Amino acid sequence: MLKRNEIYKIDYLLVVAMALIVLIGILMIYSAGFDPIEKVNSGLFKKQLLWFIIGFVLMIALTFVNYNWLGDYSLHIFIVILLMLLFTVIFGRPVRNSKAWITLGVLSIQPSEFMKLSLIIILAKYLELREMEIGHFRELVIPALLTFVPIIIILLQPDFGTALVFIPILFTMLFVGGADITHLVSIILIATIATVVPMVITYREWVGEESANMLLDLFKNTDLIFVISGVLILIALAAFILHFFFVKKFYRRIYVPASVMSMGLFFSVIIMKYLKEYQKKRLLVFLNPDLDPHGSGYNVIQSKIAVGSGGFLGKGFLKGSQAQLGFLPEKSSDFIFSVVAEEWGFIGSIVLVGLLGVIIYKGIYIALESKDKFGALLASGITTFFFFHMLINIGMGIGIMPVTGLPLTFVSYGGSNLIVSMMCIGILINIRMRKFVY
Amino acid sequence: MLEAFRMRMFFFLGVVTLVIFVIVVQIINLQLIRGDEYREKSRMNMENYVPIPAARGEIYDRNFNPNAKSVVIVSNRPSFNVTMVPSNFKKKDEYRTVMRRLCKLLALPYDETVEGIAKLNPWERVTIKEDVDFNSIVTLATHQDKFPFIDWEASTVRVYNFGNMFAHAVGYTGSISREEFKKLRNFGYRHYQKVGKAGLESEHDILLRGSDGYIRRIVDVRKRTDVEEVGLHPVSGSNMVLTIDYEIQRIAHEAMEAHPKGSVIVMKAASGEVLSLLSKPDYDPNLIISKDNVTTIKDLMEDKERPFLNRAIMSKYPPASTFKLMTAIAALESERWDPATQLYCPGKYTLKGYVDKDFFCYDVHGTNNMEWAICKSCSVYFYQVGLRTTPTRILEYAGYFGLGEKTGINLPGEIPGFIPSGKWKQKTFGQTWYDGDTVNLSIGQGFISATPIGMAAFVSGIVNNGIIFKPNLVREVRSQDNRRVVQTFRPVKMREIPLSQRTLAVVKNGMRMVVASGTASRLSGLKVPVAGKTGTAQTRSKRMEDASQHAWFVGYAPFDAPPEQAIVVVVMVEYGVAGAATAVPVAERIFGKLLSQGYFNAEKK
Repeated sequence: MLKRNEIYKIDYLLVVAMALIVLIGILMIYSAGFDPIEKVNSGLFKKQLLWFIIGFVLMIALTFVNYNWLGDYSLHIFIVILLMLLFTVIFGRPVRNSKAWITLGVLSIQPSEFMKLSLIIILAKYLELREMEIGHFRELVIPALLTFVPIIIILLQPDFGTALVFIPILFTMLFVGGADITHLVSIILIATIATVVPMVITYREWVGEESANMLLDLFKNTDLIFVISGVLILIALAAFILHFFFVKKFYRRIYVPASVMSMGLFFSVIIMKYLKEYQKKRLLVFLNPDLDPHGSGYNVIQSKIAVGSGGFLGKGFLKGSQAQLGFLPEKSSDFIFSVVAEEWGFIGSIVLVGLLGVIIYKGIYIALESKDKFGALLASGITTFFFFHMLINIGMGIGIMPVTGLPLTFVSYGGSNLIVSMMCIGILINIRMRKFVY
Repeated sequence: MLEAFRMRMFFFLGVVTLVIFVIVVQIINLQLIRGDEYREKSRMNMENYVPIPAARGEIYDRNFNPNAKSVVIVSNRPSFNVTMVPSNFKKKDEYRTVMRRLCKLLALPYDETVEGIAKLNPWERVTIKEDVDFNSIVTLATHQDKFPFIDWEASTVRVYNFGNMFAHAVGYTGSISREEFKKLRNFGYRHYQKVGKAGLESEHDILLRGSDGYIRRIVDVRKRTDVEEVGLHPVSGSNMVLTIDYEIQRIAHEAMEAHPKGSVIVMKAASGEVLSLLSKPDYDPNLIISKDNVTTIKDLMEDKERPFLNRAIMSKYPPASTFKLMTAIAALESERWDPATQLYCPGKYTLKGYVDKDFFCYDVHGTNNMEWAICKSCSVYFYQVGLRTTPTRILEYAGYFGLGEKTGINLPGEIPGFIPSGKWKQKTFGQTWYDGDTVNLSIGQGFISATPIGMAAFVSGIVNNGIIFKPNLVREVRSQDNRRVVQTFRPVKMREIPLSQRTLAVVKNGMRMVVASGTASRLSGLKVPVAGKTGTAQTRSKRMEDASQHAWFVGYAPFDAPPEQAIVVVVMVEYGVAGAATAVPVAERIFGKLLSQGYFNAEKK
């Protein structure tokens, strides 16, 4: 059990940083909810305050339970939340075209947010158990299944953005957990080839650029890509068989890249055929928002205007014209960073990024200092979760990431995300506290 | 812990640091480096300028008196426009229901209206109908629940008080077209504005239009207004006093009623002030601007008689016998002809050549000198004058009088007449200039052609002893309240042709004799001595038809007074029977009115 003096080992900096970010968040939700013409407030900030209180209780609770207990029950937790996710898809009522919520009286919760934490816990446990065998390729199957089952359910909701975060969490945890780097790099390469090829082709078709590049023109022909993919897989097979008989590194150097290329091209054709036009364009608008200034590019353009027009000191609280007059869309959730940047300027943005940085660096530090592998993996998974939310949300607001609709941890309006994030903080404090407990 | 784990965590730490670095760099880029650019963009987002239309200037006739009731040719009438911002409608069904209801109320075709709106930017205010009657506005105001998001705004409509009468002089206004906007945008025109489309409305648009003001509004994304202030007050357009006399215009218009096609110009010789200018057929400008009579406008546009063509300045005809004055001037000025020379007219003239050719006179005129030849319009006499003078000299004088150029009248679309030359004929027909061409030229037939305004300028040159002023329709420009004269239009001397007194005397006497005992003797009954010349132009294509002639009358009065008092009248009737029979009665009524209006009363005017 926890000794009395261990209470002093609570990482206060972490808690203070978090509390400050939540405070900024609530002020910004107040600002975003204010209608300067009707002089009324949407009142979302009050709800967020309520979620904060609930989150705080859960955070404290998670601080005092031994985190290893989470590992022991990780599969149970995972299954329960998976069932909740399934429930949303089957019985949930769509809110803004997405069946992501379970409503309990006045409160609605989003199981997909809780799934993030659950996945981190179960991956940490699995990787701890398989610490020695994780170098084998087959050991990646179970983590992949654990990740992709919820992803598929979330895609059915559909909630593309949320589903997307699971992938970097998986990869980072595999990486930190000791998976073979060749395996990870191969998978990433396959995914990259599979997405980049169709995107480049769609871009050139859309922009209507007169192609001067013969190579890219060849790629327009999907049959040809299939042929290339087939030839490469044959080369890979031949090399693999040779490798089987005469174990030489040379053959491995052929069949690994050849099969990576082959599979990348194969999947690129699949994506080209099955991804809908608007989905491909959405990815492209991220690259160049000016492609569609009235459609999906509108959000990015308005967000950049909000951020840029904030200048050094900002326009002042409740005085951001982009946010207050509604030019900035989704201002209390997806684009809340832009409200901070507009109303509090460079100072405000840097303070917010700094505070988020404190939490992330603290997380990495806690992972490094953890007394056991499970704690280390848990802390690194949580850190990854925070990090990618920050990267994608802020990156989207400042126009360096696609518009995927992820909340900014602790800042954006959203009960489930806030509660889960605060539970994560609780777990981090817990890992830190138990460093000296054996 | 394992060293490999630490290594990988440090790698992760590196990635995190790199990402945070990139984020900070981009924030610096957006907020500090490009901050001003984005501040400007955010300002453009929230500011919305609503124009306050400037009142267009009114147009008066020449007798305008700011302190008395005067003739107002063009005025403005307050009106209402029904407008909306399409994007205010969030539901398509609601939009359709409201639009269907509205189109019924405003008597608009539903499909066309909705299609038209669909082409425009849904975030900007669209004018659904201009000049909506007051009752419909009352209905809209009292049934706001049935017409959500439908607004109306005060505006003005141009009123052409005399309809057709001033159609070609004053013109009309209309919405600025895409092509016009491209040309005019640099002069401060906006795409939603009205612009003069024809006549003086177009020519002096800049004077009449004034400049719009605007209301600066802070709006949100749905265009709801937060703060509103007048950013710039509109400046009304100036009023315009024409040189046209309403009474003269009215009489000319009445006199031309019987003739489907033609034009009239009444002009002061010594200043170029136009007292009346009209062209038939004409149109009602009120009909053009009302817009709800689409079929009528289309019919007018497609009418084969081309009612929009201002025949006074945009049509050219052979000047016919009126050109004998030019032949006479050229002959006398070049001293190739003694005006006292008597010739016998047997009714035809035979041009000797490879094959002899007969040129006819319409009568047997007997023996005449030049003045009598002008009086009786004896072609046989002028055939010989022309041959003696040589075509070069005749054409040279036609050039001096500017028949081949625009007169410079302040109306848009004027065309020049046409003066042929030997070179031109060689180029166009591959033939040299024959004597037969000269014979035709000397009586104003053949290749030469002139516009009615060109002929008016020519006659004013004779009256004015060789000086031609630029024809002008505007007397002065006044401020919106009419208290101040902003601009006065002074006579502009265009040409000065040195003419000897002897030449002028012969030509003027000849013209006087035309009225006293020649082809225009009908005018001799007037209480003012009129001088003039008739002409019957033959058009080539319809030579054989009965009404294939254009009737000309050019003249001036008073004959004996100083040129300062002289007023030139040009009447052109297309397919009129003969100058004397068709054009002269029109001129008679005009001179009669000029007389009764006191234009020839030296003491009064």
